[in-house]
Amino acid sequence: MGISALQLSSYVAFAVFVIVVAAKWRKWASMPLHLRWELYPVPHEAGKHHYGGSYLEEVDWWKKPRHTTLAGELKDMLAEMLFIKRVYVYKRPLWWLTYPFHAGIYLILVWFALLVVHGILNVYVSIPALDSIVKVLIQITGTIGIIAATLGCLGLLFRRLSDSAMKKYSSGVEYFNLLFILVVLLTGIAVWMNDTSFENAMAYMTALVSFGSVEAPQLSQLAQFHVVLMALLWMYIPFTKMSHFVGKYFTFHKVLWEDEPNLRGSKLEAKVREAVRQRMPWSAPHLKKGKTWLENAAEVE
Amino acid sequence: MAGDEIKIEDISKPSKQMIKLRLEDLMPLPPPYDKPGMEPELTDPKPEWREKYVTELDGYIAIDVPFKPKTKEEEEKLVKSFLEGLQKLVSKEGNWTFLQPLLLSLEYCAKCHTCSEACPIYVSSGRKEIYRPTYRAEVLRRIWKRYLTPAGKTFGKFVSGDIELNGTTIMRLAELAYRCTLCRRCTQTCPIGVDNGLITHEIRKLFSQEMGIAPKAIHELGTVQHLKVGSSTGMTPDGIKDIIEFIEDDIEEKLGRRIEIPVDEKGADILLIHNAGEFLSWPENPAAFAILFEEAGISWTLSSEALGYDGVNYGVWYDDVQLARIAVRHAEIARKLDVNKIVIGECGHAHKALTVIADRVLHDELNIPRESCLPILWDIVRKKKLNLDPEKNNFPVTLHDPCNIVRLMGIVEPQRKILKEICPQFREMSPNGVYNYCCGGGSGFAIMNSMNFPEWRAKVSVRMKCKQILSAFQDCIDPSIDKYVCAPCSNCKGAIRDILEHYQLTQNCSIYYGGLVELMVNAMVDLEEPFLEF
Repeated sequence: MGISALQLSSYVAFAVFVIVVAAKWRKWASMPLHLRWELYPVPHEAGKHHYGGSYLEEVDWWKKPRHTTLAGELKDMLAEMLFIKRVYVYKRPLWWLTYPFHAGIYLILVWFALLVVHGILNVYVSIPALDSIVKVLIQITGTIGIIAATLGCLGLLFRRLSDSAMKKYSSGVEYFNLLFILVVLLTGIAVWMNDTSFENAMAYMTALVSFGSVEAPQLSQLAQFHVVLMALLWMYIPFTKMSHFVGKYFTFHKVLWEDEPNLRGSKLEAKVREAVRQRMPWSAPHLKKGKTWLENAAEVE
Repeated sequence: MAGDEIKIEDISKPSKQMIKLRLEDLMPLPPPYDKPGMEPELTDPKPEWREKYVTELDGYIAIDVPFKPKTKEEEEKLVKSFLEGLQKLVSKEGNWTFLQPLLLSLEYCAKCHTCSEACPIYVSSGRKEIYRPTYRAEVLRRIWKRYLTPAGKTFGKFVSGDIELNGTTIMRLAELAYRCTLCRRCTQTCPIGVDNGLITHEIRKLFSQEMGIAPKAIHELGTVQHLKVGSSTGMTPDGIKDIIEFIEDDIEEKLGRRIEIPVDEKGADILLIHNAGEFLSWPENPAAFAILFEEAGISWTLSSEALGYDGVNYGVWYDDVQLARIAVRHAEIARKLDVNKIVIGECGHAHKALTVIADRVLHDELNIPRESCLPILWDIVRKKKLNLDPEKNNFPVTLHDPCNIVRLMGIVEPQRKILKEICPQFREMSPNGVYNYCCGGGSGFAIMNSMNFPEWRAKVSVRMKCKQILSAFQDCIDPSIDKYVCAPCSNCKGAIRDILEHYQLTQNCSIYYGGLVELMVNAMVDLEEPFLEF
């Protein structure tokens, strides 16, 4: 027993993924306060979101309590995350490709999570009834996930190559990203065809979850190749714009839906006070380079 | 080139013009404009313009300051200055105001073009590639990646795509930044939340804040004149007093009694700030406000101090520092008058600039509450403070939603509720509300009138709004029926005035335009003669 190099690659890949995603999150979260730039409809506007209204529709809005709804925001977020609603509404032909791709990836992620649960149930806690259900779910999510993601990926690649507008805007790395995912999916399909009930995948994850106390199965060369590719993909994604799952949180929550008013005496007002004291480095003749924003605003020739 | 086969990298390649617009390519208009000969032809730029100004994009000139490099050295200087500006644009020190939104939009675009069909300019132009919302954004993105990111410097084209940064690229990009009204309709459709309108705004900012390049109407005659003289119209504090007197005379004539318009009254509840363009071009609008506020018993005042009578803030379109300078002046005037709040009249960008954007600039004693006039106007109607007779407005009325007030502030219902109360033949445009189309005059276009830019505005920028207006009135398009487009925004009224003039909609279809308050006063039972004149 012990941990093989292959297993080590899986651990490293997962760790890199988590660390880089966390670093990206931190990068976006630590960005300076920006000017308000919201865009309606803002889904947390209780009672007004359905027509795109805001608290600014009220006389003396600053004297009234703001009514916000987390449920509204969650509903909008989930519609976008789970169904890619905007593409469905505004570009249906693309949705038929991008949705299977993304839904397939979500299912594969669920499949991963179920493999982990299965591993825990086998190594640490024995609940046979639950394990039977998990095995069925692994079968369903793994099969549908890999087929949907592969078909979607093929479709997206074909579209990017054949649609003149998309082709003109795509650089080499955009094709590479899709190809990389496609190769991982295709090798996955090849491995799955020799192991349709995912027995090896379950055994491999059980060994990973046991951190060396359970022996890993003997994988075929193809399966080992697939595991290595998968590890490389996990490490690669956070460095690319495929990590838009991080960016998307900030574009919506911290920019487009960010409508917090700067009320007198608020914490936000303190941040604003701080922000306008920064020095201004721009060089145009009408500006005072090196002076603060506040000084620039106050001194006009 | 016809314009649809253009590639991103073509922006760097020298040619006389990237595209040439043709009338037959433009989006068709509804009847009676579906027949040939109903609109003027397009013209070529004058040869002498090509010497000084940038006609290499589409032949139209938005930036009427000469910045074309004449020598290799000048070109290198231009490139250097642009790159320095770009570096500041993507740094915390240079751009705290919009760094996060900008970098998110530069980093995550999937180039799926879901946004393209949302853009009225792209669609109206006959889908010319350079007007696609992603085109200028992708140009900036490629330059940023190629020249300023480690990945782009290491892997070159593979990561950043093909682009060359030269004088031609910069000149065209500067012009291209003024082919988008910043309406941000494209952003509503993006599954990732990428904001091409913001990228356009940031390109304009780079040119203004680093290189001092911006259209005269917005900068020299706009914010600079505003800060120096008191108004971007050139109106001085003495001038506004004369106009207010004239408006009082006019009100007396129409109302049968004189109203003293309060000016510089300390301690009033409201400081009302109009777009100064209203006083000059549409004085009936401030007159209507005066009648409504006086009749409703509101405590209010105007200001005659420099800037206090002109609520515009062109900085919001192109320069954060100019924006802050003007917003601070507005707040200072309100503080000195000791009012409880500032209310913005019918001007969309003044709404957004002072209420929303400057919300992260003003603090402490300058953080005076600011609100739109529309909720107050609805309050007047809802509480029946006036005796209004809808029959006086019994003609077809449609509503234009100013982007700044509606899509960018979420003020959607008050104006509709008023129109439903006082206009029996009110009908919506399609689409409307937060999904409206821009008037085509947004982001400064309505006031940019040098050389051939008005032609581009008339043919491309306002075309979608022209289509919407005609479509809203198709059931009564006959010129024997007077129709009214209600646009509660000075800038939008300017654009709609252009539509009516260029396409002769008043002459051919009896379509008129104006604000919301004019309709409200027109419905007042006490008024013997109609307030609206058409």
